Amino acid sequence: MARKNPSSKKKAAKEGFVPNIVAFACNWCSYAGADTAGTNRVQYSPNFRIIRTMCSGRVTPGFVLKAFKLGADGVLVSGCHFGDCHYIFGNYRAVEQFDKTKALVKTLGLDERRVRLEWISAAEGTRWGEIIDEFVAEITSLGPSPLNHKPKSKK
Amino acid sequence: MMDAGRHPNIEVLTNSELTHLDGRAGSFRATVRKNPRYVSEELCTGCGLCIDDCPVIVPNEFEVGMGARKAIYSPFPQAVPNTHIIDREHCLNDDFLVCNNCLNVCDRNAINFDDPGEEIRLDVGAVIVATGFDVYNASAIPSYGYGLYHNVLTNMELERLLNATGPTRGHIVRPSDHKVPRKIAFVQCVGSRGEGREAGCQYCSRFCCMNAIKDCLLVKQHESDIEELMVFYIDVRAAGKGFEEFYQRSLGMPELKYVRGRPSKIIEDPQTRDLIISVENGETGEVSKVRADLVVLSTGAVAAASNRDLAEVLGINLDENSFFEVEPRYGSPLHTAREGIYVCGCAAGPNDISDSVAQGSGAAAEAEVFTAKLPAEEEPLVKEELDISGPPRVGVFLCHCGINIAGVLDIEELKEVAKNIPDVVYVEDNLFLCSDEGQRLVQEKIVEHRLNRVVAAACTPRTHEPIFRESCDQVGLNPYLFEMVNIRDQCSWVHTKVPKIATKKARDLIGMGVARARHLQPLYRKTIPVNQSVLVIGGGVAGMCAALELEAQGMKVYLLEKEGRLGGILNNLTRVYPANLSAFELARTMVEKIKASRVEAMASTEVNSITGFVGNFDVSTTNGNFRVGAVVVATGAHIYKPQGEFGYGRFENVITNQELENILHESKDGIHVNGKTPGTVLFIQCVGSRDTEKDTGCSRFCCPTTIKQAIRLRENGVNVVVLHRDVRTVGAKAEEHYRHARELGVKFIRYTPERLPHVSGRDQRAEQVEIRELALHQTLEIDVDYVVLAAGMVPNEQSTAKLHDILKVPLGADGFFMERHAKLGPVESTTEGVFLAGCVSGPKDIADSIAQGAAAAAKVASLISHDTVALEPTTCVVDQTLCRACGRCVEICDYHAPSLVEVAPGLKAAQINQALCKGCGTCASWCPTGAIAAMHFTDEQIDSMMEALLAG
Repeated sequence: MARKNPSSKKKAAKEGFVPNIVAFACNWCSYAGADTAGTNRVQYSPNFRIIRTMCSGRVTPGFVLKAFKLGADGVLVSGCHFGDCHYIFGNYRAVEQFDKTKALVKTLGLDERRVRLEWISAAEGTRWGEIIDEFVAEITSLGPSPLNHKPKSKK
Repeated sequence: MMDAGRHPNIEVLTNSELTHLDGRAGSFRATVRKNPRYVSEELCTGCGLCIDDCPVIVPNEFEVGMGARKAIYSPFPQAVPNTHIIDREHCLNDDFLVCNNCLNVCDRNAINFDDPGEEIRLDVGAVIVATGFDVYNASAIPSYGYGLYHNVLTNMELERLLNATGPTRGHIVRPSDHKVPRKIAFVQCVGSRGEGREAGCQYCSRFCCMNAIKDCLLVKQHESDIEELMVFYIDVRAAGKGFEEFYQRSLGMPELKYVRGRPSKIIEDPQTRDLIISVENGETGEVSKVRADLVVLSTGAVAAASNRDLAEVLGINLDENSFFEVEPRYGSPLHTAREGIYVCGCAAGPNDISDSVAQGSGAAAEAEVFTAKLPAEEEPLVKEELDISGPPRVGVFLCHCGINIAGVLDIEELKEVAKNIPDVVYVEDNLFLCSDEGQRLVQEKIVEHRLNRVVAAACTPRTHEPIFRESCDQVGLNPYLFEMVNIRDQCSWVHTKVPKIATKKARDLIGMGVARARHLQPLYRKTIPVNQSVLVIGGGVAGMCAALELEAQGMKVYLLEKEGRLGGILNNLTRVYPANLSAFELARTMVEKIKASRVEAMASTEVNSITGFVGNFDVSTTNGNFRVGAVVVATGAHIYKPQGEFGYGRFENVITNQELENILHESKDGIHVNGKTPGTVLFIQCVGSRDTEKDTGCSRFCCPTTIKQAIRLRENGVNVVVLHRDVRTVGAKAEEHYRHARELGVKFIRYTPERLPHVSGRDQRAEQVEIRELALHQTLEIDVDYVVLAAGMVPNEQSTAKLHDILKVPLGADGFFMERHAKLGPVESTTEGVFLAGCVSGPKDIADSIAQGAAAAAKVASLISHDTVALEPTTCVVDQTLCRACGRCVEICDYHAPSLVEVAPGLKAAQINQALCKGCGTCASWCPTGAIAAMHFTDEQIDSMMEALLAG
């Protein structure tokens, strides 16, 4: 299995660590932005998996904690820019939820850089790619999550 | 765009033109020439393989020539239809050597070089002209050097540079050296508000000021290295809802400097390619040369070149600027002189987005009067539902999308993996799953293998989920048992160079999709009956217009007016700009139409309460109770009553625009007050408007109103002086009136909020106004007979507060009702079934209010012209046994869908109204006990995806 990641840092290649990243994307802006990245053939790191929700406000701290419990190394939550939310203020609720998430993540002893909240619009395909690259590089440099009990057991 | 493309009642004819129209309103016969695109719309899937193989590279028009495209191309990424087109002018097949690359690579045989195009005939009831505008050609002004100097761009070019998908991927660079500019200068009114030799157009293009302000903010966001942004302007015309607030915000940007002055010329430094701008500062009178790294010309809008031919075909006139002429008789911006033909947006003159959207809906309402009742959408065949009991039986279908997916991912490997996922009983792949053949395959296999869950690994659910869902539905499988996995847009297209890793990702995604599919539950769309009557609150011009449009479409309309008579503010006006219509006549015509119609107009009536939801509102008024399907709020606004500013109330000759309007109304021959013609009348603009402390924006109508009155006074020999902050004449013909007023000798002097004019007088009479003339560095003392305060518009606090409570429509910081979307939903509220029209959502003039009235009518009609409305089942549902009635969901829902109800004596629990819930799922994430489930995005479904990914 190829372990080389085209855009992450050299360090990652050296250590052979490929992070598990879960990205929650809202249906209207961020998921659409990821589609736009495709339409424009933006090439970026494949080391993340998207879970679509209707709104970033749907992402409870529970989802994020569950992801870490199951061995994720990083979690991205992304929604619409302020003022663009399909549900008016859902992204403001996401901010409130995210603050709690962050506090809980810290309480668990995890580095708070392992969770990130971003606003990406349907038009911002390039930005989607850049943010994923950046986040993948950051999580790679942070190394495996201390809660990730079986880093080597992935298929 | 995609909504229009997918709508069952809309047929989009692109690359087509109207060549002939005869008949009359209600029964036009149109001939449309469909120009050949050489690619079949039916066969092309938009996969893009032909584009990759096309050897011809030409400048891309969409990128204003700054990017490249092929000879076979899509005009822009989200074009509808998603079909390519061949540019035969550049295609090699017209040369001696035939290339045929696209023809050879297309698996679907969609390419036909012999496509002759088509001429089609259509029977239509009405025609709406929405052909937009052309951008002014900036090279027509040689002194600005566009086209000559490298680093002079237009605003359109800057827009592309700012775009993340544009030629520089969102980076602002100088064309000459590809460096990030440190100093950028914006030059406003290029081709607009023209004077003298390089005149361009005389009108104001309306949107360029806001566009420049927005671009300044964006430029700084994109390139933090930028040190200075300068905007050279004549007036900052931030005249629209929220625009003034936006402008004020931009004033807080340290890098941004506004300079009042129109540059006389721009020259290039041949060494550095920097630009030197010569300009006289209108505030200091100082003439200077300013250096900038990049100059952006804010080019205005000109009439589309195609207008002349189209006007001839339609048999209507163009105005002096070659825009489509509006028939002034109706006071509406939508009517042309020919019945049944309507115009909206920039086809009739420059407009911004929200006004264009409102006009578009308004034109639709006008057109609906002449279109026969559409046949109800086809009754879906009621299929017997398949038996889905028992454990999940998942079918996985993999799409190759030509080589879009299969060229990167290892389909065989994915098939093998899919087969080994628990509960997967069938796996199949197909070249194009979205084709008719692919869909038939899915349907056959559902029946053959008794599949009760279907997973398609293909493109994006955002475009293709509806197609698959419909196919499932047709064979009796509940459409919500379908799951789509995106292995193209978010996998094969973006990880093209690492096929193995991309395949690994696709394996995970398919695993996650199947896991989620196993937890999917059938959901059913509930239909609720719709009451086909409408309540219009407010009998002003917007309300009357909405009521008349709805009545013309055969709906029962209740029109409520608080006052004793209909007409609203129109009753207090004399003349209505721009066409100088008699306000009295306009009001009388509308009131008479209402009286002659079946509209149930109730004067001196107020709303007590409204309960219920979309389609079923129970209304209680001081004049009886009834039930309606929708509500239009058109309660208008108040004219600001000055609170002692500029001696108002102290001096009897300090009056408002509206009080002057009464004087003008009563003056028949000339202008007489107490038998005398006043010598000098001085207007002071922006009284009660543009006050940052009070959150008041620009009222938009006062500048044209003052100018209208100033012209009338001046024509009767009165001296007129106007003290203003910016002259904001953005509406139709308003700039022309401004020019006319200056030609008549009306004097315009600018003041700033830091140095307000001072009105002094004796006893009860104002005698003199002191004003600092900025450019002259002098204080002027002007003897006056009258001071007229241009009082802005303020929300009608009493009625908005009451309706806010009753209807749950949010209010903005300025106290006006908030629209669903500032640009795209100007007449919709966030409450389904409740619409806004006229000044209730912000200051507007008569023409804009009429357009909004018609727009609200169109929105109401599209909602309640059916007997029932289907509710999307992907809403949130409360398990009341788990609910402890904490009320968090009630607090956070902006749609007021949850409420606490008594479920047993003394026991409360939350309940979510399906008709109000939009399905965002936010309440489900906030519910502390897990009582709320977001249907189709439940906790189990999302958890199962994470488990499949991480624990697998």
